[in-house]
Amino acid sequence: MKKLIIVISIMAILPQLFAQNVNCKIKGSDTVLPLTQKEAEVFMKKYPGSSIMVTGGGSGVGLAALQNGTTDIAQSSRKMKLDEKMKMQDAGKTTIETIIAYDAIAVIVNPSNKINQLTREELESIYTGKVTNWKEVGGDDMPIVLYSRESSSGTFEFFKEHVLNKKNFSPSALLMPATGAIVQSVSQTKGAIGYIGLAYIETTVKALKVSYDKGTTYVAPSVENAMNKTYPVTRPLYYYYLNTTEKAVKPFVDFILSTEGQKIVREIGYVPVK
Amino acid sequence: MMIHYKRFLSKAIILTAVSLSGFSAFSQEDQSAAVKQSADTLNTKIENVKSDLDLLKKLKISGYIQAQWQLADTTGQASAFSGGNFPKNADNRFAIRRGRVKFTYEGTLSRFVVQIDATEKGVALKDAYVNFKDPWLQMFSIQGGVFDRPFGYEISYSSSLRETPERSRVYQTLFPGERDLGAMLTIQPRKESRFNFIRLNAALIAGNGIAPEIDSKKDFVGQLGINRTTRNEKFRYAIGVSYYNGGFFQETPNVYKMTTLEDSIYSGKGFLVDTTDSNKGEYARREYYGLDAQFSLDWMIGLTTLRGEYITGTQPGTSANNISPNNRLLPNPYTVTSSNGTSTTYSGGPVDTYIRNFNGGYVYFIQNILHSRHEIVVKWDYLDPNTKVSGNEITSKVNTRSTKMGVADIKYTTWGFGYNVRLYSNLKLMAYYEIVKNENTSLTTSTANYTKDIKDNVFTLRLQFKF
Repeated sequence: MKKLIIVISIMAILPQLFAQNVNCKIKGSDTVLPLTQKEAEVFMKKYPGSSIMVTGGGSGVGLAALQNGTTDIAQSSRKMKLDEKMKMQDAGKTTIETIIAYDAIAVIVNPSNKINQLTREELESIYTGKVTNWKEVGGDDMPIVLYSRESSSGTFEFFKEHVLNKKNFSPSALLMPATGAIVQSVSQTKGAIGYIGLAYIETTVKALKVSYDKGTTYVAPSVENAMNKTYPVTRPLYYYYLNTTEKAVKPFVDFILSTEGQKIVREIGYVPVK
Repeated sequence: MMIHYKRFLSKAIILTAVSLSGFSAFSQEDQSAAVKQSADTLNTKIENVKSDLDLLKKLKISGYIQAQWQLADTTGQASAFSGGNFPKNADNRFAIRRGRVKFTYEGTLSRFVVQIDATEKGVALKDAYVNFKDPWLQMFSIQGGVFDRPFGYEISYSSSLRETPERSRVYQTLFPGERDLGAMLTIQPRKESRFNFIRLNAALIAGNGIAPEIDSKKDFVGQLGINRTTRNEKFRYAIGVSYYNGGFFQETPNVYKMTTLEDSIYSGKGFLVDTTDSNKGEYARREYYGLDAQFSLDWMIGLTTLRGEYITGTQPGTSANNISPNNRLLPNPYTVTSSNGTSTTYSGGPVDTYIRNFNGGYVYFIQNILHSRHEIVVKWDYLDPNTKVSGNEITSKVNTRSTKMGVADIKYTTWGFGYNVRLYSNLKLMAYYEIVKNENTSLTTSTANYTKDIKDNVFTLRLQFKF
């Protein structure tokens, strides 16, 4: 009986002994932030010895922090730029890139706006400043108030490249430091328009359907539509970490890529990798 | 009696419960007020710390130290372009090549920079400038002070990043010390613009290095360049053109220009002197044209970088020297300080002016090995300081109307082979061997025989710490 108790105790303790606790800092993209926060929360509950600190600031900020050694993982909503890679190299650092999920960018307006859908061309005209009143795209006679992320944001760069076709944002666009600020501003401003990651959609704003075939079909931003690839404005979300710290952060990265982690991806409103 | 007692007890319990609950409610309110007060105090403290931190974040201190050991072919070797001449009795040496500390204060639309260089040779100012960006379009900026001359690529590419110990001979000759005193306008569309890849610099500078200005003439230097990366972030290319237009104060009426000489004593190419009185006090034209290109490819074997630059133009100098003035004092004596800190003072009266057409350039090939900390570099550079003569045409024979040619007319070609490894993120080790070739001429001087290649190769082992 004594022996049995000892064996059972050891079997109960063993997984805890072999479980690798993770102590790390994660910084970067505001888009990835809610996902990382949730994943970290679940991971820390599972492995109580772990400590994961998560902060936002934008993809560029996270990658700069990885380069200067103030974070262990940079979360990014865009691919690392060649310039950033060269800086890493100059600092003698080699990075590992992992796609942890996919995200869809949703275009949002104030719920009082009667517009429900826009084509990519209309979005381009609105954000480059060619169209300045909602009546020009079938809405009420109301000036358009543009909200955008700052240029250090990966979402900013993605939107510029894929929606604006690399054209300049209108100088009148109001640049916001965080996605939450865009949601709040759009919810409080009648003529406002903004763009955010799918996970940030709230009932206080209205997400528009988007057409990438000049108005033939309009698709609503949703996890399902992103997964079946009918929603056109999707992108990968990345983790970047150094090969020298791979061992320390890998358990957490593996957790996100696991079935359990990818389930959270889906729950939070992102598109799973698998 | 019993009932009365029960009633009394019930009342007592109720009263006690009510009074206790009242006390408890009061106590909870009190507690929450205290917690709120503590939270407010903590918030205020955090806000104060944050604002102090934000202020501190604007001031950045960075720097690097390069400690090195060099081995020359011979004792006392003349290696002015490889970190300075060797001591008379030494063929190897230890040195602090650079010891930089840079203070940068970054405002919203402004930047203040001071950089000093502290080595065993002394302490010298490298940068001291202020930069302001226009608050409206944020595409125009004005910079004033001592800063890198906006010409080509190698000048502004930091010595801490460069894969070789020194800049090319052509740059060390034309722009010793890299910096000058003046003002610069930069036009570059803001980051959000699709034209952000274009950049234009135009500067008016004193043309005397970091030393005080000595005349009222200003030199113009301008640069137009593009820098783009492909959408997949795998290939980057940058191309630029540069122009320099300045002057060289003529201390005497004697201005020498290259020509073909024919008389009873000497037949061939040489300097012909113009002794017109009005030459004195005029400015000889100092004019350069530059073309530069850089390519980087991130692929399976690591990052491959190819850089090249070509510069041509007219360089006024003296009979023995064609390094641009870097600390000229007028009238004589004046000092020329090369980029490695070696100063040569010219005295003994005003010097004559020699006009030479030149060209020069370099090519770098840098290969990172499999995305690791290791890289190899091969560099080729050359400077032909006098394109009108070459080889045996460079002679010390003297014509009745001309002066002899000298070491300032000899073409040099340098091959460099290097290996760099980042030992830690702050620490870089460099091993670099330079094969320096001079063209074979008919010239011999009291110190060297330039009829053959003189021994002046250098090996450098350098440790750099950067923060």
